[in-house]
Amino acid sequence: MSLFQGINTSASALTANRLRLDTIASNIANAETTRANFVNGVWQPYKRKMVELSPKSGESFDNLLQAAVGNITGKNGDQGVRVTAIKEDETPFKRVYDPSHPDADQDGYVLMPNVDMMKEMVDMISASRSYEANITALNATKNMMMKALEIR
Amino acid sequence: MLGSYHTQILERSMNAANLRHRTITNNLANIDTPQFKSQQVVFEEYLQQELSGALGKQKLEAYRTNERHIPFANAGGFAMPQIVSNPNNIVQNNGNDVDLESEQTELAKNQIWYSGLTQLTSGSYQKIRSVIDGGGK
Repeated sequence: MSLFQGINTSASALTANRLRLDTIASNIANAETTRANFVNGVWQPYKRKMVELSPKSGESFDNLLQAAVGNITGKNGDQGVRVTAIKEDETPFKRVYDPSHPDADQDGYVLMPNVDMMKEMVDMISASRSYEANITALNATKNMMMKALEIR
Repeated sequence: MLGSYHTQILERSMNAANLRHRTITNNLANIDTPQFKSQQVVFEEYLQQELSGALGKQKLEAYRTNERHIPFANAGGFAMPQIVSNPNNIVQNNGNDVDLESEQTELAKNQIWYSGLTQLTSGSYQKIRSVIDGGGK
């Protein structure tokens, strides 16, 4: 039963939240991108990306060993979080009237990315708060390890 | 004397604190994971039961024909930390029931408990060292 596992768990969450922030940054940067994919001779606008999270399986060697020798009973926690996929948002594109736009069709309409700035901002705050919470946990782990070293 | 029952309890309590810390860390890591259910560690109640002898009643006592035979006390029925999930937690729309505030509070409480245990452990060794040195002769 090692405290280092605690650091690894926090680190996995830091990585996942960093990736979430990167994805949000990409969404915001491409909020006006009308030429992201070239499909059948037509340019498609950028599709909003989302991160899919799932708990890491707790079947590490340490967990199985501790359960086998009976140090812990009951179901042992999954350790950490991981990103399983980056999904694309399939909601329809926004259709904006802008005849002077280079990608406007005959009627003067342009397909714009399905990025909602408000949604991105809320997600961004959520991700950065999660990041901070995990930093706190990581510092707590560090402090506990230092305390344990003080026993003499 | 170094491995007395007292230090054993301290050691097991520290292991429980360690496990609880890892559980809280894991809950915090999965704060945005859909369908994740938070976990808690129960230990103090079991330790209380062990110390009051409630657990000891259930285990087999060694048959002693002489008062001076070594008792097999504490040969089993050790209080072990248990990981549980609370089904009464408020679940958010994404099926996740991690409560950030309560997890942070538990984290702080657990840290204080852990540093208290390290001090108690240090103290018990300090006493032994004091005896070895012959007290304040």
